[in-house]
Amino acid sequence: MVTKMDEQAKLEILKDILFPDDRGAVQDIAKRITLVEHIINDQKQLAEKVDPLVDEKISAFTKRIPDTLGPTITATLKKEIKNHKDEVVDALYPVLGKMVKKYVAQEIKMLSEKIDNQLGFLKRFKRKMRSWFGGPTEEQQLMRELSSATIEQVLLIERDTGILKASYSVTNTIDEEMISGMLTAIKSFVEDAFHKKNQNLELIQYELYNIHLQSFVTHYVAVVISGDYHLTSKNKLQDIIFNFYYNFMAMNLDLVFHSKDKEKQGKEVRTIDKDLLIKELEASFGNAKI
Amino acid sequence: MQKSKKVVILGHFGVGKTSLIRRFVSNQFSDQYKVTIGVHISKKVVDLSDEDSVSLILWDLEGTDRLEQIREAYLLGTHGVIFVFDINRPSTFQNLKRDLETVKSKVQDRPTVVIGNKKDLVPEEEISSLLEEHDIPYDYLTSAKTGETVEEAFLHLASILHHDS
Repeated sequence: MVTKMDEQAKLEILKDILFPDDRGAVQDIAKRITLVEHIINDQKQLAEKVDPLVDEKISAFTKRIPDTLGPTITATLKKEIKNHKDEVVDALYPVLGKMVKKYVAQEIKMLSEKIDNQLGFLKRFKRKMRSWFGGPTEEQQLMRELSSATIEQVLLIERDTGILKASYSVTNTIDEEMISGMLTAIKSFVEDAFHKKNQNLELIQYELYNIHLQSFVTHYVAVVISGDYHLTSKNKLQDIIFNFYYNFMAMNLDLVFHSKDKEKQGKEVRTIDKDLLIKELEASFGNAKI
Repeated sequence: MQKSKKVVILGHFGVGKTSLIRRFVSNQFSDQYKVTIGVHISKKVVDLSDEDSVSLILWDLEGTDRLEQIREAYLLGTHGVIFVFDINRPSTFQNLKRDLETVKSKVQDRPTVVIGNKKDLVPEEEISSLLEEHDIPYDYLTSAKTGETVEEAFLHLASILHHDS
Protein backbone atom coordinates (compact mmCIF):
# COMPACT_ATOMS: atom_id res chain seq x y z
CA MET A 1 0.00 0.00 0.00
CA VAL A 2 2.82 2.33 1.02
CA THR A 3 4.68 1.37 -2.12
CA LYS A 4 1.66 2.12 -4.31
CA MET A 5 1.26 5.65 -2.77
CA ASP A 6 4.91 6.28 -3.27
CA GLU A 7 4.64 5.31 -6.88
CA GLN A 8 1.67 7.61 -7.35
CA ALA A 9 3.48 10.51 -5.67
CA LYS A 10 6.51 9.85 -7.77
CA LEU A 11 4.45 9.89 -10.91
CA GLU A 12 2.92 13.23 -9.94
CA ILE A 13 6.37 14.68 -9.24
CA LEU A 14 7.59 13.37 -12.60
CA LYS A 15 4.51 14.85 -14.33
CA ASP A 16 5.19 18.22 -12.67
CA ILE A 17 8.76 18.13 -13.90
CA LEU A 18 7.85 17.07 -17.47
CA PHE A 19 4.63 19.13 -18.02
CA PRO A 20 4.88 22.17 -15.73
CA ASP A 21 2.12 24.20 -17.48
CA ASP A 22 -0.40 21.38 -18.09
CA ARG A 23 -2.70 22.20 -15.18
CA GLY A 24 -2.70 25.91 -15.89
CA ALA A 25 -3.56 25.22 -19.56
CA VAL A 26 -6.50 22.98 -18.63
CA GLN A 27 -7.82 25.66 -16.31
CA ASP A 28 -7.42 28.26 -19.07
CA ILE A 29 -9.34 26.07 -21.57
CA ALA A 30 -12.13 25.51 -19.05
CA LYS A 31 -12.40 29.27 -18.49
CA ARG A 32 -12.58 29.97 -22.23
CA ILE A 33 -15.26 27.29 -22.74
CA THR A 34 -17.34 28.91 -19.98
CA LEU A 35 -16.91 32.30 -21.67
CA VAL A 36 -17.93 30.94 -25.11
CA GLU A 37 -20.95 29.20 -23.55
CA HIS A 38 -21.92 32.47 -21.94
CA ILE A 39 -21.62 34.37 -25.24
CA ILE A 40 -23.67 31.77 -27.13
CA ASN A 41 -26.41 31.74 -24.51
CA ASP A 42 -26.59 35.51 -24.27
CA GLN A 43 -28.30 36.61 -27.51
CA LYS A 44 -27.12 40.19 -27.27
CA GLN A 45 -23.50 39.22 -26.86
CA LEU A 46 -23.78 36.65 -29.67
CA ALA A 47 -25.35 39.23 -31.94
CA GLU A 48 -22.47 41.63 -31.28
CA LYS A 49 -20.05 38.98 -32.47
CA VAL A 50 -22.09 37.44 -35.34
CA ASP A 51 -23.99 40.40 -36.83
CA PRO A 52 -20.96 42.11 -38.37
CA LEU A 53 -20.07 38.81 -40.07
CA VAL A 54 -23.62 38.27 -41.39
CA ASP A 55 -23.80 41.89 -42.56
CA GLU A 56 -20.53 41.49 -44.37
CA LYS A 57 -21.77 38.28 -46.05
CA ILE A 58 -25.10 39.86 -47.07
CA SER A 59 -23.34 42.92 -48.42
CA ALA A 60 -21.00 40.73 -50.48
CA PHE A 61 -23.96 38.62 -51.69
CA THR A 62 -25.97 41.71 -52.67
CA LYS A 63 -23.03 43.01 -54.66
CA ARG A 64 -22.77 39.68 -56.46
CA ILE A 65 -26.55 39.46 -57.31
CA PRO A 66 -26.24 41.12 -60.74
CA ASP A 67 -23.55 38.60 -61.69
CA THR A 68 -24.92 35.47 -60.03
CA LEU A 69 -28.74 35.76 -60.04
CA GLY A 70 -29.11 38.56 -62.63
CA PRO A 71 -29.17 36.34 -65.74
CA THR A 72 -31.60 33.89 -64.09
CA ILE A 73 -33.98 36.69 -63.01
CA THR A 74 -33.84 38.34 -66.45
CA ALA A 75 -34.45 35.03 -68.21
CA THR A 76 -37.39 34.21 -65.91
CA LEU A 77 -38.94 37.66 -66.38
CA LYS A 78 -38.50 37.48 -70.16
CA LYS A 79 -40.11 34.04 -70.21
CA GLU A 80 -43.04 35.16 -68.02
CA ILE A 81 -43.63 38.31 -70.09
CA LYS A 82 -43.41 36.30 -73.33
CA ASN A 83 -45.87 33.68 -72.08
CA HIS A 84 -48.32 36.17 -70.60
CA LYS A 85 -47.95 39.08 -73.02
CA ASP A 86 -51.65 39.91 -73.09
CA GLU A 87 -51.95 40.01 -69.33
CA VAL A 88 -48.89 42.26 -68.96
CA VAL A 89 -50.08 44.67 -71.64
CA ASP A 90 -53.58 44.66 -70.17
CA ALA A 91 -52.17 45.55 -66.76
CA LEU A 92 -49.98 48.34 -68.12
CA TYR A 93 -52.42 49.75 -70.68
CA PRO A 94 -54.59 51.74 -68.25
CA VAL A 95 -51.52 53.19 -66.50
CA LEU A 96 -49.83 54.25 -69.75
CA GLY A 97 -53.15 55.37 -71.20
CA LYS A 98 -53.77 57.60 -68.20
CA MET A 99 -50.33 59.16 -68.40
CA VAL A 100 -50.52 59.91 -72.11
CA LYS A 101 -54.11 61.09 -71.90
CA LYS A 102 -53.43 63.41 -68.96
CA TYR A 103 -50.53 65.02 -70.78
CA VAL A 104 -52.51 65.49 -73.99
CA ALA A 105 -55.59 66.68 -72.06
CA GLN A 106 -53.53 69.24 -70.17
CA GLU A 107 -52.10 70.65 -73.40
CA ILE A 108 -55.53 70.76 -75.03
CA LYS A 109 -57.05 72.40 -71.96
CA MET A 110 -54.50 75.16 -72.09
CA LEU A 111 -55.10 75.67 -75.79
CA SER A 112 -58.87 75.60 -75.26
CA GLU A 113 -58.66 78.19 -72.47
CA LYS A 114 -56.65 80.49 -74.71
CA ILE A 115 -59.23 80.15 -77.50
CA ASP A 116 -62.10 80.66 -75.01
CA ASN A 117 -60.53 83.88 -73.81
CA GLN A 118 -60.30 85.06 -77.37
CA LEU A 119 -63.86 83.99 -78.27
CA GLY A 120 -65.75 84.75 -75.01
CA PHE A 121 -67.01 88.09 -76.18
CA LEU A 122 -67.90 86.71 -79.61
CA LYS A 123 -69.96 83.88 -78.05
CA ARG A 124 -71.98 86.22 -75.84
CA PHE A 125 -72.67 88.44 -78.84
CA LYS A 126 -73.74 85.40 -80.92
CA ARG A 127 -76.20 84.27 -78.19
CA LYS A 128 -77.73 87.73 -77.98
CA MET A 129 -78.10 87.95 -81.75
CA ARG A 130 -79.80 84.54 -81.93
CA SER A 131 -82.32 85.42 -79.21
CA TRP A 132 -83.06 88.79 -80.86
CA PHE A 133 -83.86 87.08 -84.14
CA GLY A 134 -86.45 84.65 -82.76
CA GLY A 135 -84.12 81.90 -81.53
CA PRO A 136 -84.18 80.44 -78.00
CA THR A 137 -83.62 82.88 -75.16
CA GLU A 138 -80.14 83.53 -73.91
CA GLU A 139 -80.86 81.52 -70.73
CA GLN A 140 -82.10 78.55 -72.77
CA GLN A 141 -79.02 78.68 -74.92
CA LEU A 142 -76.81 78.81 -71.85
CA MET A 143 -78.66 75.86 -70.30
CA ARG A 144 -78.22 73.88 -73.50
CA GLU A 145 -74.52 74.66 -73.59
CA LEU A 146 -74.14 73.62 -69.99
CA SER A 147 -76.24 70.44 -70.17
CA SER A 148 -73.80 67.63 -69.54
CA ALA A 149 -73.61 64.20 -71.03
CA THR A 150 -75.21 61.32 -69.13
CA ILE A 151 -74.11 57.71 -68.99
CA GLU A 152 -77.05 55.52 -70.02
CA GLN A 153 -75.46 52.12 -70.31
CA VAL A 154 -72.08 50.45 -69.81
CA LEU A 155 -71.10 47.12 -71.33
CA LEU A 156 -67.97 45.15 -70.57
CA ILE A 157 -67.39 42.94 -73.60
CA GLU A 158 -64.89 40.23 -74.48
CA ARG A 159 -63.02 41.63 -77.45
CA ASP A 160 -62.75 38.59 -79.75
CA THR A 161 -66.00 36.77 -79.08
CA GLY A 162 -68.21 39.78 -78.46
CA ILE A 163 -69.62 38.01 -75.43
CA LEU A 164 -71.01 40.29 -72.75
CA LYS A 165 -69.22 39.87 -69.41
CA ALA A 166 -71.20 42.41 -67.40
CA SER A 167 -73.33 45.46 -67.87
CA TYR A 168 -74.81 48.43 -66.07
CA SER A 169 -77.86 50.23 -67.40
CA VAL A 170 -79.99 53.14 -66.21
CA THR A 171 -83.01 52.12 -68.30
CA ASN A 172 -84.09 48.81 -69.80
CA THR A 173 -82.94 48.28 -73.37
CA ILE A 174 -83.14 45.49 -75.93
CA ASP A 175 -81.06 42.37 -75.41
CA GLU A 176 -77.62 43.49 -74.26
CA GLU A 177 -75.97 40.27 -75.40
CA MET A 178 -77.10 40.96 -78.96
CA ILE A 179 -75.97 44.59 -78.72
CA SER A 180 -72.56 43.38 -77.57
CA GLY A 181 -72.32 40.95 -80.49
CA MET A 182 -73.38 43.58 -83.00
CA LEU A 183 -71.01 46.23 -81.60
CA THR A 184 -68.17 43.71 -81.81
CA ALA A 185 -69.11 42.85 -85.39
CA ILE A 186 -69.17 46.55 -86.38
CA LYS A 187 -65.90 47.14 -84.55
CA SER A 188 -64.26 44.09 -86.18
CA PHE A 189 -65.50 45.13 -89.61
CA VAL A 190 -64.22 48.71 -89.37
CA GLU A 191 -60.88 47.74 -87.88
CA ASP A 192 -60.40 44.99 -90.45
CA ALA A 193 -61.65 46.96 -93.45
CA PHE A 194 -59.15 49.79 -93.15
CA HIS A 195 -56.22 47.42 -92.62
CA LYS A 196 -54.79 49.68 -89.95
CA LYS A 197 -53.11 47.65 -87.28
CA ASN A 198 -53.46 48.77 -83.65
CA GLN A 199 -56.22 51.25 -84.52
CA ASN A 200 -59.54 50.95 -82.75
CA LEU A 201 -63.03 52.15 -83.49
CA GLU A 202 -63.62 54.69 -80.73
CA LEU A 203 -67.01 56.29 -81.30
CA ILE A 204 -70.36 55.46 -82.88
CA GLN A 205 -72.81 58.34 -83.14
CA TYR A 206 -76.53 58.28 -83.80
CA GLU A 207 -78.76 61.31 -83.34
CA LEU A 208 -79.05 61.87 -79.58
CA TYR A 209 -76.71 59.11 -78.51
CA ASN A 210 -73.01 58.42 -78.66
CA ILE A 211 -71.36 55.07 -77.98
CA HIS A 212 -67.83 55.41 -76.71
CA LEU A 213 -65.69 52.30 -77.18
CA GLN A 214 -62.54 51.93 -75.09
CA SER A 215 -60.45 48.97 -76.19
CA PHE A 216 -58.04 47.01 -74.04
CA VAL A 217 -56.25 43.79 -74.99
CA THR A 218 -58.78 41.14 -74.12
CA HIS A 219 -61.86 43.21 -73.36
CA TYR A 220 -63.39 46.52 -74.32
CA VAL A 221 -65.82 48.83 -72.58
CA ALA A 222 -68.77 50.33 -74.49
CA VAL A 223 -70.52 53.31 -72.90
CA VAL A 224 -73.79 54.67 -74.26
CA ILE A 225 -74.07 58.41 -73.60
CA SER A 226 -76.94 60.82 -74.08
CA GLY A 227 -76.69 64.61 -74.15
CA ASP A 228 -73.83 66.81 -75.23
CA TYR A 229 -70.76 64.65 -75.55
CA HIS A 230 -67.69 66.82 -75.97
CA LEU A 231 -63.99 66.51 -75.41
CA THR A 232 -64.34 67.37 -71.71
CA SER A 233 -66.94 64.62 -71.24
CA LYS A 234 -64.74 62.20 -73.17
CA ASN A 235 -61.80 63.01 -70.92
CA LYS A 236 -63.82 62.43 -67.77
CA LEU A 237 -65.31 59.24 -69.15
CA GLN A 238 -61.91 57.88 -70.14
CA ASP A 239 -60.63 58.57 -66.62
CA ILE A 240 -63.53 56.58 -65.16
CA ILE A 241 -62.97 53.70 -67.60
CA PHE A 242 -59.22 53.62 -66.99
CA ASN A 243 -59.78 53.71 -63.22
CA PHE A 244 -62.32 50.90 -63.40
CA TYR A 245 -60.06 48.79 -65.59
CA TYR A 246 -56.93 49.50 -63.55
CA ASN A 247 -58.51 49.04 -60.13
CA PHE A 248 -60.62 46.07 -60.95
CA MET A 249 -59.78 44.28 -64.16
CA ALA A 250 -56.00 44.76 -64.31
CA MET A 251 -55.58 44.08 -60.62
CA ASN A 252 -57.55 40.86 -60.85
CA LEU A 253 -55.79 39.39 -63.85
CA ASP A 254 -55.55 35.90 -62.43
CA LEU A 255 -59.28 35.89 -61.91
CA VAL A 256 -60.26 37.35 -65.26
CA PHE A 257 -57.85 35.47 -67.46
CA HIS A 258 -57.17 31.82 -67.39
CA SER A 259 -55.23 29.73 -69.82
CA LYS A 260 -56.82 26.84 -71.63
CA ASP A 261 -53.81 24.76 -70.58
CA LYS A 262 -54.83 25.04 -66.96
CA GLU A 263 -58.33 23.88 -67.84
CA LYS A 264 -56.93 20.92 -69.74
CA GLN A 265 -54.68 20.04 -66.83
CA GLY A 266 -57.80 19.83 -64.71
CA LYS A 267 -56.66 22.62 -62.41
CA GLU A 268 -59.27 24.75 -60.76
CA VAL A 269 -59.93 27.80 -62.90
CA ARG A 270 -61.00 30.96 -61.12
CA THR A 271 -62.99 33.58 -62.94
CA ILE A 272 -64.61 36.75 -61.76
CA ASP A 273 -68.15 36.36 -60.59
CA LYS A 274 -70.59 38.16 -62.91
CA ASP A 275 -72.53 39.74 -60.03
CA LEU A 276 -69.32 41.18 -58.64
CA LEU A 277 -68.46 42.65 -62.04
CA ILE A 278 -71.91 44.22 -62.29
CA LYS A 279 -71.56 45.74 -58.80
CA GLU A 280 -68.17 47.12 -59.71
CA LEU A 281 -69.52 48.64 -62.94
CA GLU A 282 -72.38 50.25 -61.03
CA ALA A 283 -70.00 51.62 -58.40
CA SER A 284 -67.68 53.07 -61.03
CA PHE A 285 -70.22 54.45 -63.50
CA GLY A 286 -73.47 54.73 -61.51
CA ASN A 287 -73.16 58.24 -60.14
CA ALA A 288 -70.38 59.40 -62.39
CA LYS A 289 -70.66 62.92 -63.77
CA ILE A 290 -69.15 63.48 -67.17
CA MET B 1 -75.74 27.99 -64.76
CA GLN B 2 -75.88 29.87 -68.07
CA LYS B 3 -72.88 30.17 -70.35
CA SER B 4 -72.61 32.30 -73.47
CA LYS B 5 -71.09 30.80 -76.61
CA LYS B 6 -70.24 32.37 -79.93
CA VAL B 7 -71.38 30.28 -82.90
CA VAL B 8 -70.67 31.24 -86.52
CA ILE B 9 -72.83 29.98 -89.37
CA LEU B 10 -70.84 29.46 -92.56
CA GLY B 11 -71.54 28.24 -96.07
CA HIS B 12 -71.88 29.24 -99.72
CA PHE B 13 -74.37 31.85 -101.02
CA GLY B 14 -78.05 31.03 -100.71
CA VAL B 15 -77.76 27.71 -98.85
CA GLY B 16 -80.25 28.90 -96.23
CA LYS B 17 -78.06 29.99 -93.31
CA THR B 18 -80.27 32.95 -92.37
CA SER B 19 -83.45 30.86 -92.84
CA LEU B 20 -82.11 28.15 -90.52
CA ILE B 21 -81.34 30.72 -87.82
CA ARG B 22 -84.73 32.35 -88.28
CA ARG B 23 -86.45 28.98 -87.94
CA PHE B 24 -84.42 28.07 -84.86
CA VAL B 25 -84.66 31.44 -83.10
CA SER B 26 -88.19 32.59 -83.90
CA ASN B 27 -89.73 29.56 -85.64
CA GLN B 28 -90.44 31.53 -88.80
CA PHE B 29 -89.72 31.05 -92.50
CA SER B 30 -89.90 33.31 -95.54
CA ASP B 31 -89.58 32.34 -99.21
CA GLN B 32 -88.18 35.75 -100.09
CA TYR B 33 -84.42 35.64 -100.42
CA LYS B 34 -82.55 38.53 -98.85
CA VAL B 35 -78.79 38.52 -99.14
CA THR B 36 -76.97 38.91 -95.85
CA ILE B 37 -74.41 41.68 -96.02
CA GLY B 38 -71.62 41.59 -93.50
CA VAL B 39 -72.96 39.83 -90.44
CA HIS B 40 -76.19 39.56 -88.53
CA ILE B 41 -76.31 38.66 -84.85
CA SER B 42 -79.07 36.65 -83.17
CA LYS B 43 -79.38 34.98 -79.82
CA LYS B 44 -81.16 31.97 -78.44
CA VAL B 45 -81.01 30.52 -74.96
CA VAL B 46 -81.06 26.72 -75.01
CA ASP B 47 -82.08 24.89 -71.83
CA LEU B 48 -80.10 21.69 -71.48
CA SER B 49 -81.39 20.71 -68.04
CA ASP B 50 -83.22 22.29 -65.10
CA GLU B 51 -80.01 23.97 -64.00
CA ASP B 52 -77.89 24.33 -67.13
CA SER B 53 -78.48 26.45 -70.18
CA VAL B 54 -76.39 27.84 -73.01
CA SER B 55 -76.88 31.25 -74.54
CA LEU B 56 -75.98 30.85 -78.22
CA ILE B 57 -74.85 34.09 -79.83
CA LEU B 58 -75.32 33.26 -83.51
CA TRP B 59 -73.13 35.10 -86.03
CA ASP B 60 -74.82 34.75 -89.41
CA LEU B 61 -71.98 35.54 -91.80
CA GLU B 62 -72.60 36.54 -95.40
CA GLY B 63 -72.34 33.63 -97.80
CA THR B 64 -69.22 33.18 -99.88
CA ASP B 65 -68.05 30.73 -102.53
CA ARG B 66 -64.48 31.30 -101.46
CA LEU B 67 -64.26 30.38 -97.80
CA GLU B 68 -60.61 31.36 -97.54
CA GLN B 69 -61.75 34.95 -98.06
CA ILE B 70 -63.97 35.08 -94.98
CA ARG B 71 -63.18 38.12 -92.84
CA GLU B 72 -61.11 36.55 -90.10
CA ALA B 73 -62.05 39.27 -87.58
CA TYR B 74 -65.54 37.74 -87.49
CA LEU B 75 -64.16 34.32 -86.57
CA LEU B 76 -62.04 35.42 -83.60
CA GLY B 77 -62.89 33.60 -80.41
CA THR B 78 -65.48 31.37 -82.06
CA HIS B 79 -66.64 28.53 -79.82
CA GLY B 80 -68.49 26.50 -82.43
CA VAL B 81 -69.35 26.39 -86.13
CA ILE B 82 -72.41 25.38 -88.14
CA PHE B 83 -71.49 24.72 -91.76
CA VAL B 84 -74.43 24.66 -94.14
CA PHE B 85 -74.69 23.31 -97.69
CA ASP B 86 -77.66 23.04 -100.07
CA ILE B 87 -78.61 19.44 -100.92
CA ASN B 88 -80.28 20.74 -104.05
CA ARG B 89 -77.14 22.48 -105.36
CA PRO B 90 -74.09 20.19 -105.80
CA SER B 91 -71.76 23.19 -106.27
CA THR B 92 -72.25 23.95 -102.56
CA PHE B 93 -71.02 20.53 -101.39
CA GLN B 94 -68.77 19.22 -104.19
CA ASN B 95 -65.69 20.50 -102.36
CA LEU B 96 -67.12 20.06 -98.88
CA LYS B 97 -64.10 18.25 -97.45
CA ARG B 98 -61.75 20.97 -98.66
CA ASP B 99 -64.14 23.67 -97.40
CA LEU B 100 -64.29 22.04 -93.98
CA GLU B 101 -60.49 21.88 -93.85
CA THR B 102 -60.37 25.62 -94.62
CA VAL B 103 -62.90 26.35 -91.88
CA LYS B 104 -61.07 24.09 -89.45
CA SER B 105 -57.80 25.94 -89.99
CA LYS B 106 -59.51 29.29 -89.44
CA VAL B 107 -61.31 28.41 -86.21
CA GLN B 108 -58.61 26.31 -84.54
CA ASP B 109 -60.47 23.01 -84.70
CA ARG B 110 -63.58 24.20 -82.87
CA PRO B 111 -66.57 21.83 -82.79
CA THR B 112 -68.36 21.91 -86.14
CA VAL B 113 -71.80 20.62 -87.10
CA VAL B 114 -72.34 20.06 -90.84
CA ILE B 115 -75.89 20.58 -92.11
CA GLY B 116 -77.35 19.70 -95.51
CA ASN B 117 -80.31 22.08 -95.89
CA LYS B 118 -83.36 22.26 -98.22
CA LYS B 119 -84.21 18.61 -97.68
CA ASP B 120 -87.79 19.38 -98.74
CA LEU B 121 -86.67 20.11 -102.31
CA VAL B 122 -85.09 16.71 -103.06
CA PRO B 123 -86.90 13.34 -103.02
CA GLU B 124 -85.81 11.13 -100.12
CA GLU B 125 -84.42 8.31 -102.32
CA GLU B 126 -82.31 10.72 -104.35
CA ILE B 127 -80.73 12.33 -101.27
CA SER B 128 -78.92 9.21 -100.03
CA SER B 129 -77.54 8.28 -103.45
CA LEU B 130 -76.47 11.88 -104.07
CA LEU B 131 -74.63 12.17 -100.77
CA GLU B 132 -73.07 8.70 -101.08
CA GLU B 133 -71.92 9.46 -104.59
CA HIS B 134 -70.05 12.55 -103.40
CA ASP B 135 -68.99 10.96 -100.09
CA ILE B 136 -70.35 13.87 -98.05
CA PRO B 137 -69.53 13.94 -94.30
CA TYR B 138 -72.73 15.54 -92.98
CA ASP B 139 -74.25 15.51 -89.46
CA TYR B 140 -77.85 16.58 -90.12
CA LEU B 141 -80.19 16.95 -93.12
CA THR B 142 -82.62 19.78 -92.45
CA SER B 143 -85.36 21.87 -93.95
CA ALA B 144 -85.63 25.46 -92.74
CA LYS B 145 -88.96 25.58 -94.61
CA THR B 146 -90.65 22.73 -92.73
CA GLY B 147 -88.45 22.99 -89.64
CA GLU B 148 -87.40 19.35 -89.89
CA THR B 149 -84.33 18.50 -87.75
CA VAL B 150 -83.37 22.19 -87.42
CA GLU B 151 -83.69 22.30 -83.66
CA GLU B 152 -81.87 18.97 -83.24
CA ALA B 153 -78.82 20.26 -85.14
CA PHE B 154 -78.51 23.43 -83.05
CA LEU B 155 -79.19 21.58 -79.79
CA HIS B 156 -76.50 19.06 -80.67
CA LEU B 157 -73.91 21.84 -81.02
CA ALA B 158 -75.17 23.58 -77.86
CA SER B 159 -74.70 20.35 -75.93
CA ILE B 160 -71.16 19.86 -77.28
CA LEU B 161 -70.24 23.44 -76.38
CA HIS B 162 -71.68 23.09 -72.90
CA HIS B 163 -69.64 19.98 -72.18
CA ASP B 164 -66.61 21.47 -73.89
CA SER B 165 -66.39 24.41 -71.47
